[in-house]
Amino acid sequence: MYSGKLCSKEPVKTKEQLQALLKDTRGKTYYKEMQNLEVDTDLLWKTIQTTLNSRIKTWLEICSRCGICAESCFLYLANDKDPTQIPSYKIQSTLGEIIKRKGDVDNAFMQTAMETTWGKCTCCNRCAMYCPNGIDTGVMFSYLRGLLYQQGFVPLEMKIGAGMHRIYYAQMDITDEDFIDTFEWIVEEYEKDYQGLKVPVDVKNADIMYTVNAREVKYYPEDLAYAAILFNLAQENWTVTSKGWEETSLAMFAGDWEACKIQVKHVYEAMERLKPKRMIGTECGHAHRATVIEGPYWMGRKDGKPPVESIHYVEWVAEALRTGKLKINPEKRIKTPVTIQDSCNYVRNGGLKDITREIISYIVEPGYFVEMEPCGENNFCCGGGGGFNGIGIYRNHRNKGLTVKRDQIIKTGAKLVLAPCHNCWDAIRDLEEEFKIGIKWSFLKPLLIDMVEIPESMKPAS
Amino acid sequence: MFKTILLAASADHACDNAAKSAFRLADLTNAHITVFHVLGMPAHGFSQEVIDVKTGEKVEASEEYISWVKEEIKIYYAKQFEKTKSFDIKIAVGMPYREILREIKNGRYDIVTLGGTSKEKISVYKKHMLGSTVLRVAKASPIPVMVLCRPSSSFLKNISSILFCADFSKESDAAFNFAANLAKFFNCNLDIFNVADISPVFSKNIIEQDEIDSQISAAYKKIEEKYIPHTKNIIKTVANVCEGIPYVEIVKYAREKNSSLIVIAHHNKENENFGSNMEQIIVRSASPVISINK
Ligand code: SF4
Ligand code: SF4
Repeated sequence: MYSGKLCSKEPVKTKEQLQALLKDTRGKTYYKEMQNLEVDTDLLWKTIQTTLNSRIKTWLEICSRCGICAESCFLYLANDKDPTQIPSYKIQSTLGEIIKRKGDVDNAFMQTAMETTWGKCTCCNRCAMYCPNGIDTGVMFSYLRGLLYQQGFVPLEMKIGAGMHRIYYAQMDITDEDFIDTFEWIVEEYEKDYQGLKVPVDVKNADIMYTVNAREVKYYPEDLAYAAILFNLAQENWTVTSKGWEETSLAMFAGDWEACKIQVKHVYEAMERLKPKRMIGTECGHAHRATVIEGPYWMGRKDGKPPVESIHYVEWVAEALRTGKLKINPEKRIKTPVTIQDSCNYVRNGGLKDITREIISYIVEPGYFVEMEPCGENNFCCGGGGGFNGIGIYRNHRNKGLTVKRDQIIKTGAKLVLAPCHNCWDAIRDLEEEFKIGIKWSFLKPLLIDMVEIPESMKPAS
Repeated sequence: MFKTILLAASADHACDNAAKSAFRLADLTNAHITVFHVLGMPAHGFSQEVIDVKTGEKVEASEEYISWVKEEIKIYYAKQFEKTKSFDIKIAVGMPYREILREIKNGRYDIVTLGGTSKEKISVYKKHMLGSTVLRVAKASPIPVMVLCRPSSSFLKNISSILFCADFSKESDAAFNFAANLAKFFNCNLDIFNVADISPVFSKNIIEQDEIDSQISAAYKKIEEKYIPHTKNIIKTVANVCEGIPYVEIVKYAREKNSSLIVIAHHNKENENFGSNMEQIIVRSASPVISINK
């Protein structure tokens, strides 16, 4: 069976393979090789027989093709109501068809399925809320991603991302040493501004173990400093772990089920080793989904929970403001029209809508907050979820998809968009770059840093 | 005095003045020079598309592109490289100020030179953050930061005097040591200058002249006690104190004295805000400004 040098059914196993994939500009060689990739139809059918659960099987069978889900999908709306963007059509013409044909599909079919899976669905799960039969197309596409990944039909960046987790236990090439070194370095930069600021590493039995997104380490280390400052201001007994510090999972976006397990196991081991009271993950939606919501199932944990109580950053912020651990200077509250991007992963799928509204009640001057329409669990995907933001070949699909979020934001009249999720933050940044609608966007941390009161003991020595 | 100089530059006119002063410094100290260029922020994921900070365009940060950028830099600074003892060119991807700080941390540089605050393009990546590359680097750099935004300077001709702006803080003491060493190295004069700050931002009420006078004499006393004893090997050291808005007085004084270099401490309080003394001095001064924070 044909196997390309870059594009094959094999997952990334070495740093050299990763380097070779990274060097392949725009995936020129990778996608060329994909043209010759053969479908292992036996394997495909065998995998389906052993992994397809009855829920997905039933969903595919009971879908009445009523089309009610159409208007719920932002990609259908963004693409002028193109019928091929209707959720039920997308999944029936791919996964449904593969099953119907008992896995007997060819290369061209798989490439189209790949485009539909990563370029026409972000696994935002919105359509499930509107289907009268409760069919969740997003969940089915997540499953299909796994089948396609196994056959090597996966966009380049997803292959790299999953490979990074396999090699570095992180979505980027950041070693454990890089992580600690960067965290300590950046905190040192702020020592003068906040007395006593430090980053405790590998402290056992701390109240909080903090996990991050590797992009923060690579490109936005300020975010690490802000997290440290806020934990210190709130006088939390917190720590970071030198191993298992990455909360995200591009492996989940890629459909690399094995790497999903490898990654989350690593984080859970850190929890077992350090035994913190709670784990708090950074402002990232999919990281929360991977480590807190899906992870326990990947690991076969009977209680469906991670080894220690695990919460999203917004939950900690709300708690810290509620209990007065962090105090906002009322004069510094946001006094500009502001809205919030509700993350699919922790609002629709994690139920944290009220928590973010509680934060808003503390940090925004009354009268300045405007809800998007729709919002909360009904909110549309930012336009870049599920790995969509990072996939080069579907960049145009993604940009088209951003128009729904763009119009939602314009309608609010907001000048600032709160985006406590890395994917949302990136999508909104990109939509501003693409359409220049004159907005700013921010995680919560930098805004909080500007608003919180600093206790005398932490003020800089004069 | 300096073995390795880091020149953070984009090989365009916005950085010309800074580059000239860096090469001049390399020339005077027989130092190695590393030209460091940051391509910009990558798009999400692993697509190698970056926003080039120089052109603002989306480019593919492929190996070929990186070698092309290196070649461009080589051509742009060809004349200067000819006279330099040794040089190398490094390219990074990311937020410029952060990558410059990372390079400083990882390398063995004695000084970093930067330019171009006034002409910096505000790209979409920078819009969500306040402050310029220069101020952010100056705030956090563990090594001296030399900035020159405006053309012409006596520094490029002959080095006659170093202007040290004293404010008696811990950082200022470190800046003094650096300035004194420079004056010794270049065998030139040292001007120690302090401004009793009467700018409206800092003084809530109108200040009585008596108070200003007493501030001025206290400053002279401090200079006498703190700094003068350490100036024995310097040809000539002059102390001066006056009242006013610090950046205005400093820029004026440097012009009057034809100072070759200005050495100043960077403060926490300066923060990243535009309009700080530091930024004002940098933007207005015709002499390179060296900021020290440790
Ligand atoms: S709403 Fe449900 S039943 Fe109707 S077409 Fe969509 S998925 Fe099928
Ligand atoms: S999960 Fe989201 S993107 Fe995918 S089909 Fe449903 S609504 Fe559309």
